[in-house]
Amino acid sequence: MLHTLESLESCNYDGMDMTVLERQAARLKWQQQYYVVQNNNPVPLSASSVPQSQGLIGSNLGSGQMVELKRPEVFLGTDDLQDFVNLPVSGPDFGESEKLDLVPPEAAADYCISRTFNCQMTTPNIAVMKEEREDVILEKIESTTGSGRVSFNKRKAEAVADHKSKDKRIRGEGESEVKTKCSTEISRNSSKENSKASEVQKPDYIHVRARRGQATDSHSLAERARRGKISNKMKCLQDLVPGCNKITGKAGMLDEIINYVQSLQRQVEFLSMKIAALNSSVELSVQNLPMKEFPAYVANFPAAAKLPEMAGLPCFQLNPLQKESVRFMLNESLHPPQTEGVARASVCITEQSLSSSSMTQLQPFSTWNMDPQGLYNMYNMGFH
Amino acid sequence: MEGYMKEGRRVYPTEPRKIMQARFATKYLNYLLHALTNIGKPELSSTLDCCVNKEIDKMVRYEVDMALALSAEGFAWSHALKHRLRLNVNNNNHAGKSQSYLAHHDDHRTKMPVNHEPATKKLKGNPKRSGTEAAVEEEEEERLTYLRKLIPGGSGEMMVDDEILLSELGSYVTCLELQVNVLRSMLQLT
Repeated sequence: MLHTLESLESCNYDGMDMTVLERQAARLKWQQQYYVVQNNNPVPLSASSVPQSQGLIGSNLGSGQMVELKRPEVFLGTDDLQDFVNLPVSGPDFGESEKLDLVPPEAAADYCISRTFNCQMTTPNIAVMKEEREDVILEKIESTTGSGRVSFNKRKAEAVADHKSKDKRIRGEGESEVKTKCSTEISRNSSKENSKASEVQKPDYIHVRARRGQATDSHSLAERARRGKISNKMKCLQDLVPGCNKITGKAGMLDEIINYVQSLQRQVEFLSMKIAALNSSVELSVQNLPMKEFPAYVANFPAAAKLPEMAGLPCFQLNPLQKESVRFMLNESLHPPQTEGVARASVCITEQSLSSSSMTQLQPFSTWNMDPQGLYNMYNMGFH
Repeated sequence: MEGYMKEGRRVYPTEPRKIMQARFATKYLNYLLHALTNIGKPELSSTLDCCVNKEIDKMVRYEVDMALALSAEGFAWSHALKHRLRLNVNNNNHAGKSQSYLAHHDDHRTKMPVNHEPATKKLKGNPKRSGTEAAVEEEEEERLTYLRKLIPGGSGEMMVDDEILLSELGSYVTCLELQVNVLRSMLQLT
């Protein structure tokens, strides 16, 4: 039984074990006197096995080992895990997966119910407490896992109503106030456990860690996750909008974004009016850009040979313009072959689209309307 | 990133963002230059210059926006922009006037300073009130609704979610920047 538990735990190895192991090793020594130590190997505890082990909070605590919980965010690898030491044998078997061996009543007599309990309880009390805590744990396990792993919940069909309500409240609120220390402990553990268990067992969910004093119900968690996502997006926007680095706070940021978008839109309008004016007055004037300005392009373009032919065409004027614009865009360090590829393509296409004064060359343009999804995905990857 | 294979031409971008920008720029240019050369010809025969200019203005504006919408496929705002443009064109065709498009756009322009000032006034004039959480959230909500008016399709059903709105904002801002760059470079060379 102990071995099975150990093996189960070992398969869910979690990263917090080092302190666990140390503590467990320390614990082992003084606990050896109380029950047959069946394994001296520190048991790697995982998030999934912790709930079961929590039952041992009440069961295995040694006399005089009152370690207060420091912070709830402290991983189970710290003080808590002194409790999750050698799982005492005997006690009822719980069925398949998670087996929680309870401290035999006689051994339990030597233990306090919880680390923070200052009293030594008698055996029957301990047994009761154990049972009650199991209920609590079972309910939590049920809630977190929802799987059939909890096999021993059937035994605890009759839960102590008090504990149940307490448990629900604990789960619902994650309170930091201490009703009873043991329940608080459990609640802290379970609140951590909830978030952790959900991490382990429901990988497709959004992971939000409930901190101390914060609600742990699904609504608040979802709300917090949503707020986290929004703040991420705001950070991305901060990178986009120039001059937003100094501004903190969502409202100021949104202000800046509004201003920036407005200014961009105004610029677009102004430029388009200018273009319209140009268009109406004269066709975009011929700009004789020397070829040497486009060394990278010209040298690589197979279409370069075509350019001299097209010099005579009135539409040719647009080519240098276009090349210039394209170069403008590609100004930053683009990988040369890629630059070549894109630019060459653009030149080819523009040549084709503009060479004939009649607009028959829509086809090449349409080929450039590559799959929007690809562009969208690419943008998103680059954007985030 | 992925190697984008298109008719035997492989482009392996090292920076996906740059590639996106390059593609946007080329698409934009292709479309716009194409459209502008189209505009130039038929309008020359008009009699009234001012009318022609206005018409040309509007047409250019239309083409500019359409170029933006087509160059940035796949975004909710681009879809909405395209829809709006086509709607306006239909209105123009039916009504015989081309006021609706610009009017629609100008509404946004005029609305902007007017609507924005109260927000800032509220912020500066009542610092105490803005200290409270509810007021701050209210301000943010106000700004968000304002942003929804700015971005095409912001009030639509696609962008009800705040997160989606913010992502669309990001893409919209970058595409606007690219558009401005393209237009500016076009003008620089003339």
